[in-house]
Amino acid sequence: MAKLIELKGISKSYDGEKVIDGMNLYIRDGEFITLLGPSGCGKTTTLRIIGGFETADEGSLYFDGVEISEVPAHKRHINTVFQKYALFPHLNVYENIAFPLRLKKKPEEEIKKRVTDMLKMVALSGFENKSVSTLSGGQQQRVAIARALISHPKVLLLDEPLGALDLKLRKDMQNELKTIQQAIGITFIYVTHDQEEALSMSDTIVVMADGEIQQIGTPTDIYNEPKNAFVADFIGESNIIDGVMLEDKRARFSGHTFDCVDGGFEKNEAVDVVVRPEDVDVVEPERGMLIGKVTSVTFKGVHYEIIVDIKGFKWMIQSTDYVAPEATIGLYIEPEAIHIMKKSKYSGKFGDYSSFSDELDQLSDADTAEEF
Amino acid sequence: MKKYASRIYLCLVFAILYIPILTLMLFSFNNTESTANFTGFSLEWYIKLFNDENAFIALRNTLILAVSSSLLSTIIGTAAAEGIYRMRSKWLKNAVNSVTNVPMMNPDIVTGVSFMLFFALLVALLGIDDYDSIGFGAMLIAHTTFCLPYVILSVLPRINELGESLTEAALDLGCTPVQAFFKVKLPNIMPGVLSGMVMAFTLSLDDFVISYFVSPSNFQTLPLLIYSMTKKTVKPDMYALSTIIIITVFTLLIISNIKSFKKSDKVRRKKGGKA
Repeated sequence: MAKLIELKGISKSYDGEKVIDGMNLYIRDGEFITLLGPSGCGKTTTLRIIGGFETADEGSLYFDGVEISEVPAHKRHINTVFQKYALFPHLNVYENIAFPLRLKKKPEEEIKKRVTDMLKMVALSGFENKSVSTLSGGQQQRVAIARALISHPKVLLLDEPLGALDLKLRKDMQNELKTIQQAIGITFIYVTHDQEEALSMSDTIVVMADGEIQQIGTPTDIYNEPKNAFVADFIGESNIIDGVMLEDKRARFSGHTFDCVDGGFEKNEAVDVVVRPEDVDVVEPERGMLIGKVTSVTFKGVHYEIIVDIKGFKWMIQSTDYVAPEATIGLYIEPEAIHIMKKSKYSGKFGDYSSFSDELDQLSDADTAEEF
Repeated sequence: MKKYASRIYLCLVFAILYIPILTLMLFSFNNTESTANFTGFSLEWYIKLFNDENAFIALRNTLILAVSSSLLSTIIGTAAAEGIYRMRSKWLKNAVNSVTNVPMMNPDIVTGVSFMLFFALLVALLGIDDYDSIGFGAMLIAHTTFCLPYVILSVLPRINELGESLTEAALDLGCTPVQAFFKVKLPNIMPGVLSGMVMAFTLSLDDFVISYFVSPSNFQTLPLLIYSMTKKTVKPDMYALSTIIIITVFTLLIISNIKSFKKSDKVRRKKGGKA
């Protein structure tokens, strides 16, 4: 697939504060790409720069190989679905969707046909004459999508479009959006802070934090092979432990030497070790690689969420079997479940579940470091 | 007891407000010139009024001036409000906002005198012999100017409330910035624009002080005419005229109130439905 949009060294500051810092990214034709990150990470600003509502301070933006950094929004073949829909309250559903076609002075029959087809696609046939203010949130969302798609843009930007909907509706709309994207085959650039939404819809996820791209990859890559502590913590739940890589496929952490599947590190390099809570098996203490004391157990429906204290570090474990609080248990971890990451500026900031525990007296980092 | 007291108080307030007006209305239908006794019902003064050419010309002048100055101040005021909204610097925004409010804060008499001086200077500088030849223009400028802040005051909150999202959506869908303003923003701030225009119209209609200083001899408005007549004895045909003006203003007020009531009712129902 060809590169459709390319960002080269884009930077943007507001009042002297850098929101995006030297961003490089390309987006392929026809892909569903998600910019994912916490609020204030620069994802919406990136989207607004692509849409033409903000101008970058530095860097350039290319569309189909042509630089469009200075092209105003109304001349770009890019349409947007806004967070709060931004439907025109003075127009009814039909006229809202017909708006871009009327601007281009299309003949009345063509407008009618295209609006009718579009309404059918978003399952709103028969809503033509309704006032947009009488529609529910989900219906307004569909009108906004129909309006953005009717002039056949090459790219659709979606700025947290499902943020205002309730959970059930959000799931339905996620499927619907994905279906629409596959049916018309155009590029969707989606902004969200919801990692589940990103994982279930995207072809590619761009994880952002502090105005920088942390990782670009497919949902499975991002989940299974996070690049640093930030990504590991932001996408799903993670136990992130300080460790040492003794040699390829041998890692030592929490006072035990584990077999793992990663390599390519220097001898005795300090690393971050990620273990997903669902990948830890609870076993008898004598059979465990690690032994710890359960500090809290929470029932979550599908599983129990167990916090275990192992040498002062609180692990989160998800298990379908009940374990009594205060019990001493053993943990068993498969080599495939251990993911090794290089140290980054986010090391030590994430992945400890101490705040989940009732016990507030934590051992200092120095104490745990000696235990390797 | 308390309930009665508050009712009596309310009635008293209304009585003081409206008894003079009602008396005036009543005597406009009197069949004699007496201001003390109502001797019988007649439309004599209304007939006389409609045959009075001076009053008619003054009424026509007043309406022409009110319509043109309210239209002009609405156009300029709406453009100004949009301009103030678009200002980046907060400091400049506040400064311009305060400056536009000056004509509203200023006592009318000061505004009137300063306009008089300004036009006198203008006439001298341009070498115009006859002030009457620019008289209507001067009146129009003066009225537009003092109506302007009221229009801005009525439009600006609407623009602020509307925010940037609809304009951005319009630009996104292919509108030029000008199209975005006329096709999307203007229809959505229309209630504010219209109420600003109505306010400008009524203000221009009943302005006396500023008109008194600015008016040329060939362009007299109703308030000026009434004032000049009070210098002699007031005839009941002026009661008739005042009654007509009061009824007109009242009708305008009721219409705009019904409109805003309907609107707030709609909003309330919508909110109730969502909850």
